Amino acid sequence: MNTIIQNILVYTALALAVAFIVKTYVWSPKKKKTKACGGDDSCGCH
Amino acid sequence: MSKQINVALIGNPNTGKTSVFNALTGLNQKVGNYPGITVEKKEGVCKLPRGVKAHIIDLPGTYSLNASSLDENVVIELLLNKKDKDFPDIAVVVSDVENLKRNLLLFTQIKDLEIPTLLVINMADRMSYKGISLDIDYLEEHLQTKIALISTRKGQGIDNLKNLIANYKDLSITPCLNASEIDRDYFDSLRKAFPNQLLYKLWLVITQDVNFGKTDRNEIDAVANFKTKSKGDLKRLQQKETIKRYQFINNVLKKGQTIDISQAKDLRTKFDRILTHKVWGYVIFFFILLTIFQAIYDWSSVPMDFIDSIFASLSEWVKNMLPDGAFTNLLAEGIIPGLGGIVIFIPQIAFLFLFIAVLEESGYMSRVVFLMDRVMRRFGLSGKSVVPLISGTACAIPAIMATRNIESWKERLITILVTPFTTCSARLPVYLIIIALVIPEGRILGLSYQALTLMLLYLIGFVTAVFSAYILNKILKIRSKTFFVVEMPNYKLPMFKNVALTVIEKTKSFVFGAGKIILAISIVLWFLASYGPGDAFNNAENIVKSEYASQHLTKEDLQQKIASHKLEHSFIGITGRAIEPVIRPLGYDWKIGIAIVSSFAAREVFVGTLATIYSVGSDEEETIKNRMASEVNPILGGPLFTFASGISLLLFYAFAMQCMSTLAIVKKETNSWKWPVLQLVIMTTFAYIVALIAFQFLK
Repeated sequence: MNTIIQNILVYTALALAVAFIVKTYVWSPKKKKTKACGGDDSCGCH
Repeated sequence: MSKQINVALIGNPNTGKTSVFNALTGLNQKVGNYPGITVEKKEGVCKLPRGVKAHIIDLPGTYSLNASSLDENVVIELLLNKKDKDFPDIAVVVSDVENLKRNLLLFTQIKDLEIPTLLVINMADRMSYKGISLDIDYLEEHLQTKIALISTRKGQGIDNLKNLIANYKDLSITPCLNASEIDRDYFDSLRKAFPNQLLYKLWLVITQDVNFGKTDRNEIDAVANFKTKSKGDLKRLQQKETIKRYQFINNVLKKGQTIDISQAKDLRTKFDRILTHKVWGYVIFFFILLTIFQAIYDWSSVPMDFIDSIFASLSEWVKNMLPDGAFTNLLAEGIIPGLGGIVIFIPQIAFLFLFIAVLEESGYMSRVVFLMDRVMRRFGLSGKSVVPLISGTACAIPAIMATRNIESWKERLITILVTPFTTCSARLPVYLIIIALVIPEGRILGLSYQALTLMLLYLIGFVTAVFSAYILNKILKIRSKTFFVVEMPNYKLPMFKNVALTVIEKTKSFVFGAGKIILAISIVLWFLASYGPGDAFNNAENIVKSEYASQHLTKEDLQQKIASHKLEHSFIGITGRAIEPVIRPLGYDWKIGIAIVSSFAAREVFVGTLATIYSVGSDEEETIKNRMASEVNPILGGPLFTFASGISLLLFYAFAMQCMSTLAIVKKETNSWKWPVLQLVIMTTFAYIVALIAFQFLK
């Protein structure tokens, strides 16, 4: 019983960790574009 | 029910705006970004008299409402957009008593937007030193506002300021300058075309060189197209506006302000003469750096050892107290050592930021910028590039964002490309642990070898950045004009509260920013190191027992052999072995290889990764440093971390582009994948070659 619970906890932690890494580095939700300076070269900064 | 009002803190750079923000909000503040862009947004809450609550926004410093950079654009966008949820009920313009004339330009512009505007004159405690006296009643009458004379340093005038903010409805919104005075015919036609609009707001929209994100596009486009004058004519009108404003300000200050230089007791000139001297200036700067690195080592060793032993004991305690099993092992061998690998560096990082904050607060950093401009010019950089290069010692991401105030695109691009060479705080954990392992503890002239090595690494980063800039300046064929203007703030005794808040905020963001990813990577690494495919892993115990059956090993030795065999045949071991041929010429084993690969996410993951890999299968209570010191080179047999492999590793980390977030911000700032990809390939190849030469030469 103890082994099963411990394994469940390990796989849950692993799934959460992988999801966090993927979300941070691979997939990030698209932000609404706000045509602010930096997005193109029409801001007069450069 | 208490009422909440929006308060915008606006002012020129170096007026003590952030000190006013800190004085009003204390610890009730948070730092974020403006949506869609990466300009820092500081906001906080302040309780005012009569139960009024103020939501205070500390806007980026700006000299006027004629934006030339993204930071300044944020201020204008907010003030022009009444629909913005943060649109201020009151604008609090913070000025500095010594630069009142220049500060009032921004004040008059904001007031002309018919927003209730309060003038705060900060650093009042310095008036007597400078021989300045102000006729507040006269100034209030002619500027048609209320004035709060304060000193954040001495904590004077803050209650009065809160009172004045609470009574913002009493403030006059009469403009200082009638917009029509700029050009009567042009403004008459503008008024006819947009009868219900505020003239000065229209004028600002027409003359801005920026895109508006939040302001109503339809409204802006309609106005922006109203360009009956050429661009050159509009520029001339803008200059006329500035002249008219200064005429107004001069008239007001003629009677409202008296400066008697004979009464000034100024030490600034004397200090400047020494600190910006063409020889002594550099010598002093060098010794200040030396002192900082020495202090980082001397002061933080005790708390670091304490934290290290705490985490080692915690792992041991978890193992003893929790029932045996995979999750207990994950906690004791994966998560706790992984987190220990980051928490241990809190003292050194806090000390580094403490010194940087003190140098910035005291006004010395601006002298460094001025001093370094002479050097930077020769390498195709601007004096303003020094700010990103110095702030790159904290993190390359805000440093790259800080290049936005460099007007020349070529200088800005070069600064963006070379900034990741400066030693960021994420490299610090790697440097500290490797230096502790391979550099002896002796001293020369009272300075430890270890502190000198650390300083040398910082210098190597800086020198490489400057030389790369020189090469890029020769290669890149971009034409652009450049000029350099820097404001020299007065010397001040750093305010404890500001320094403390900076240290807390920076350390917190380092620990929590890195902590989350390290925790996640520790879990994945532990899993990959504790599980493996096939018979070699699953049947490790029997294989090892039969292999060593004739050697009569003790129980501990046998357990050690089994753990080592399992690690070698785990998922991570197989991956590590696959990349080992590439990194072996640099003096690294597959475990270091795994740490290097995982630290492509973020450099600070390196120590946590090694701590996790070395902990797996080990039952002993050990500190991270001891575990690394006892690692044996599988080929040569001696310690894995020797002088040669250590220096090779230090140089690899000094030059390699190992930060995904930096690559992302370079892409964002240059609007192209070309530059970050070039950065990644060139920096990492260079790092590999230098590390290879160093190891082969020193081994």
